[in-house]
Amino acid sequence: MKILVCIKQVVDPEKVEYNAQTKTIKRNAQHLMNNPADLSALEFALRIKDVYKDVHITTLSMGPAECESKIKELIEVGCDSCVLLSDKRLAGSDAYSTAYALAKAIEKLGNFDLILCGESSLDGETSIVPPQIAEYLNIPHIAFASNIKVLDLQRIEVERKSKNLLFKFEVKLPALISVKKDRAFLRLPKLSLMIKALSYTPQILSLDDLENFDFDKVGTEGSKTLVDEFVEQKLEEVKCEIYEGLEAAQIDCIADLVMRFL
Amino acid sequence: MEYFLSEEQKIIKKLAKRISDEYVSKVAIKYDKEGIFPRDILDLLAYTELTGVYIPKEYGGFGGGVMEMCLVVEELSRNCAGVAVSYAATALGVYPIILYGKEEQKRKYLPKIAKGELIAAFALTEADAGSDVSSIKTTAEKKGDYYILNGSKHWITNGGEADVYVVFAVTDKSKGPRGISAFIVERGYEGFYCGKKEDKMGIRASSTTELIFEDCKVHKENLLGREGTGFIIAMKTFDRTRPGVAAMAVGIAQGAYEHAVRYAKERVQFGQPLSSFQAIQHMLADMYINIEAARAMLYSTCRMIDSGAKDFSKESSACKVFASDVAMKVTTDAVQMLGGNGYVKDYPVEKMMRDAKVTQIFEGANQIQRNIIASEIIKEY
Ligand SMILES: Cc1cc2nc3c(=O)[nH]c(=O)nc-3n(C[C@H](O)[C@H](O)[C@H](O)COP(=O)(O)OP(=O)(O)OC[C@H]3O[C@@H](n4cnc5c(N)ncnc54)[C@H](O)[C@@H]3O)c2cc1C
Repeated sequence: MKILVCIKQVVDPEKVEYNAQTKTIKRNAQHLMNNPADLSALEFALRIKDVYKDVHITTLSMGPAECESKIKELIEVGCDSCVLLSDKRLAGSDAYSTAYALAKAIEKLGNFDLILCGESSLDGETSIVPPQIAEYLNIPHIAFASNIKVLDLQRIEVERKSKNLLFKFEVKLPALISVKKDRAFLRLPKLSLMIKALSYTPQILSLDDLENFDFDKVGTEGSKTLVDEFVEQKLEEVKCEIYEGLEAAQIDCIADLVMRFL
Repeated sequence: MEYFLSEEQKIIKKLAKRISDEYVSKVAIKYDKEGIFPRDILDLLAYTELTGVYIPKEYGGFGGGVMEMCLVVEELSRNCAGVAVSYAATALGVYPIILYGKEEQKRKYLPKIAKGELIAAFALTEADAGSDVSSIKTTAEKKGDYYILNGSKHWITNGGEADVYVVFAVTDKSKGPRGISAFIVERGYEGFYCGKKEDKMGIRASSTTELIFEDCKVHKENLLGREGTGFIIAMKTFDRTRPGVAAMAVGIAQGAYEHAVRYAKERVQFGQPLSSFQAIQHMLADMYINIEAARAMLYSTCRMIDSGAKDFSKESSACKVFASDVAMKVTTDAVQMLGGNGYVKDYPVEKMMRDAKVTQIFEGANQIQRNIIASEIIKEY
């Protein structure tokens, strides 16, 4: 079984450095992180690999060369190969253009049985890219999955939770599923895989490697939407209240409650 | 400070640090308070393959040495030395097999230990034989294909939790230290029981128990090395594992120092943070100087051992003594710096001071280490 997971390298909100004059975000390697929802998707892929022997996991990222350092972390948890689509002509691509470029790269990379994406990226939050890729590839798509179960090598069961309802879908492969964030926490790396990652370089694709590529569909020019302005949001100062005399277990309960509303 | 670790060693340290900061720190206070054995953390160490760092490659390990083992112990100890010692005690139990095991013994135990499927323990000390190791009284009498073990052991780390125990017993009383032999005893062997669990001052997450042998039958295949080599096996093992105690001490000291620095910068008295007072600044500077010196000594001792050097008892003892004394001093100063908050259990430095104390006592009390060092010095010149 061949699984592809799309993983974006986004700017870590805790380390973000914003230049108010040029209205740009610094995007150097130290500020990048793998998009959390995509890592949830990756964890689902790894769980399938835990159960089924012949599973090969490829990851696909699109971004500048700086992303390489973060892509190595995907090898550390058990991905078999990683691909980075990197090309200056992609700069400024919106969700529509990104989906087109990713779909073209997926076509180039071969026949995948299952394609997994995170529900959205921390920095874009459109949730458009996964369904759009599926449209380009002409395969079924289910969004916001909360669980994935492989029934056999041709079919999967996908669960989606929405408030008080649980949807269960049975989908024939190949299919594309976008996964809700925080549904699965990515596992720890293994020492031997971390050593493997030391010397691993992802396969780099440029647009020239893709077949029948329509260059008019990507970049700022090819995008259907345009970012007009970045405005820095000043967070309201959080008021802290102190409760005394709580037991550790009660604190854990409160922490759980708070997490549910985040 | 840059210690010029290899890329692989840096990865081991980074991975152990991650487990320590993300998992151990969350359970340290609870496990200490309730005396909970950290099996969940050992499982994580197994999953990430850190359980095999010092086990030879041909037996499924990573193929590192004492340095790799110490890097893991140091990082775990930054948050909880009780967790660290539960990991390190397996190394103490396994080094006799690595050093003196027959091929079949190595093949039987090492791969499973590397994978974290088995944990080990080392059983030497008895109620009347602590510093004076050679006066142990547990006997192993040979009867046909078996040795029959009788007696009891005290203070055994991982007691009751371990699957494999290297046990020292007297096979020939008339020969003194040359009459001691080492055996591999598995949990579940008939006549082998776990006794009282100790209620300790520190490293409370670790399990320390008595072991009892009542006509316990151990097959002669489980003899380690030759009959009568037990004392040497114990001493050669300690030479390699004392740096582990030093690593524990460096880790505890580092953890206490990090808490102290943060506290000194936040706590305001007389209208200024504590860190602006020179008396406090000098304490912080001394902590740093001592920790770095201890770490430098520890790492160079590890490098010496792993280079294949023959004799390193003096160096191994010296780094254990120095680092454990540093840990005691640094944690005591950290408690002092936190004032009343240092003396209560809401802050981790109180635990660290309790944990530090044992590093001066076990694997040979510091007085005994000084005896070893002195006798080597006198032999040398
Ligand atoms: C938490 C814990 C875990 C342990 N884990 C293990 C384990 O896994 N396996 C194992 O075999 N043992 C273990 N031990 C035992 C440990 O190694 C001994 O406690 C230690 O060697 C000291 O022996 P003792 O406690 O009998 O002290 P004693 O030998 O009674 O010594 C008491 C004091 O007298 C001093 N002293 C003794 N002889 C001399 C001398 N000749 N010159 C100067 N001073 C001297 C000592 O330094 C010490 O301060 C553990 C102990 C503890 C506390």
